[in-house]
Amino acid sequence: MAKEECKALLDALNKATACYHHLVLTIGGSADSQNLREELQKTRQKAQELAVAIRGRLTPPLRDRGLGAEERAEFERLWVAFSSCLDLLEADMRRALTLGTEFPLNKPLRPLVRTGVEGGAANVAARALSARSLRHEAERGFDVEDLHQLEREILQVGEMIHDMEMKVNVPRWTVQARQAAGAELLARPSAGVSSMRCVSVEQRMGPCDPSKALAATIFSAVLLAAVALAVCVAKLS
Amino acid sequence: MAAGPASHGGLRRAQRPHLSKMERMVVSMQDPDQGVKMRSQRLLITVIPHAVTGNDIMEWLIHKYCITEEEALHLGTLLVRHGYLYPLRDPCHLELRLDETPYRFQTPYFWMSTLWPAAELDYAIYLAKKNIRKRGGLFDHEKEHYDQLHRKISHTWDLVVMQAREQLWAAKQRRKGDRLVIACQEQTYWLVNRPPPGVPSVLEQGPERNSCTAGRVQMPTGPFQTKTVDFYRREVECLRKALGRARVKSSVCLEAYLKFSSQRGPHDPIMSGCLPSNPWVTDNDTYWAMNAPSAAVPTRLRVEQWAFSFRELLEDPVGRAHFMDFLSKEFSAENLSFWEACEELRHGGQAQVPALVDAVYQQFLAPGAARWVNIDSRTMERTLVGLGRPHRHVLDDAQLHIYMLMKKDSYPRFLKSDLYKDLLAEAVVPPKTKRRVFPFMRKPRHSSPSPALLPASASREPSGGDGEA
Repeated sequence: MAKEECKALLDALNKATACYHHLVLTIGGSADSQNLREELQKTRQKAQELAVAIRGRLTPPLRDRGLGAEERAEFERLWVAFSSCLDLLEADMRRALTLGTEFPLNKPLRPLVRTGVEGGAANVAARALSARSLRHEAERGFDVEDLHQLEREILQVGEMIHDMEMKVNVPRWTVQARQAAGAELLARPSAGVSSMRCVSVEQRMGPCDPSKALAATIFSAVLLAAVALAVCVAKLS
Repeated sequence: MAAGPASHGGLRRAQRPHLSKMERMVVSMQDPDQGVKMRSQRLLITVIPHAVTGNDIMEWLIHKYCITEEEALHLGTLLVRHGYLYPLRDPCHLELRLDETPYRFQTPYFWMSTLWPAAELDYAIYLAKKNIRKRGGLFDHEKEHYDQLHRKISHTWDLVVMQAREQLWAAKQRRKGDRLVIACQEQTYWLVNRPPPGVPSVLEQGPERNSCTAGRVQMPTGPFQTKTVDFYRREVECLRKALGRARVKSSVCLEAYLKFSSQRGPHDPIMSGCLPSNPWVTDNDTYWAMNAPSAAVPTRLRVEQWAFSFRELLEDPVGRAHFMDFLSKEFSAENLSFWEACEELRHGGQAQVPALVDAVYQQFLAPGAARWVNIDSRTMERTLVGLGRPHRHVLDDAQLHIYMLMKKDSYPRFLKSDLYKDLLAEAVVPPKTKRRVFPFMRKPRHSSPSPALLPASASREPSGGDGEA
């Protein structure tokens, strides 16, 4: 079905955008390197391919006048999510360009900011490309050519967005999102979101969570009961 | 819109030079030889490098810029408040402490100049991520913002949830230390851009200064725009206009200003106090009554003011009346009457202009008129030609001529005359009210009656509510 395909492609684009955002965060910092720039390039190219594919799939149904009301609503919802995702991607690409020009690599006069982030982000890029691992094959001076390439790609994406706005008319205020407020708190069936506790040392507020406190009291109660029983048994015998 | 600010980024950055200065300072702190000393932060198992203490920062600032400790503390606090450094122990309080509390540098992505203004979609994604991580444990103001955002951008809420989940998954692919640092960085950025209630926001700017430059050049030059011919044409036009503006030498300007201030200093009610007393303070409005435009006896200060310039004399109705008396003694009162008639023409109604011009001509300018004014022949010719098509400015030349005549001739004589000296002697100087010994025995203050009520119905007001029509 066209809708399922679109949904799958949109998920992949979403993943690629999130990974790209995560990689752009570290430009100019201590983790910046040739490898990072290469990962950025691969991720954004993948994102652009996905964007073109989705646009190709979504535009015909939306321009088709004879589509039913709830089919159309469904496609419009996907369209709104797609265009917002593309806006996020374009904004991140622009920032990557400004940061890349401000912090060129291998220039001793412009040191990188020591932010405390070290270690590679190869896994992040691999996740974006849905590959197992990533091979780095860039030569020296890659970042300078990459910046020109990035500029061209930004213009392309800008044109694509403009084109999309002109061809398809989806009024944003009529679209109802399916997720309500607080929907992110419901655990997703596939990934163990609930098991992810990004513990920030600096944010440990108060003694502990209520669930942990409950578990601790039950455990200590059981322990006390066991000790009491053992003492009684020892006294009796 | 997320993409919007990037195109204005160049212009905005130019308008906030303090940010680029701070960024240069931060970059020079990163120098491996001459930068700030770095330590490592040791958590339970992980070790995260690149931590600095407040003391190190202060020492570096003092050493590099040769400033005092107080200034260095102020600079350091500015850096922290704008989010270029963040504290590791107490992240919600952005201030620089001079002990061993560790700080770390913010990544350039989250610098104020790169990512300003903060987009709503990004904030929504951040709050959703925090929601997931803390299982609904947001602060109160964050909960409010969350609800507001949900109302505003509810159409993209699907994307918000999807992106939040995916970004957390992407972060999970990193080592634990990196994950912690990146989370702290993002938190600091949002603390600066959406401060909790009660914390002053560094983003507030005062009213737009240099509004001419703000409106002038609209085309930001960036990597995407080239300078076209139009741009240069506009620049040339602007500079040409700037060349043609009249300029006054500052020495002349300042001398005039000094003279003005010294002359008017004693006359200013705020600088030199007002006699008898300031009505706003003592509720006694004698001061206003005595200085009313049509007061019978002028105060001494007022009479002295007439000596400053001819314009002052003419603008004051009492002064003008006395000047008219003086002129009638000298048999040149028609000059002032002519001048007043011209003023009426200039500022009167459009419909009366032809009639008024005619009347003025008959009375003052026609040969053999009752009150003929003495104007030189060239101006008279020009005026007579212009009278054929009357408009409100036909008599401007004649009026100016008479004005200069009075100013150069009659005015100095007026100031030296006996009439003026008598006025000065008779002018009243009100005594200053004595301060009451018992300050609590002040006059009871009444609130002034509402101007909408007529005075007759003021007595009926307490009884019912039907005083007001």
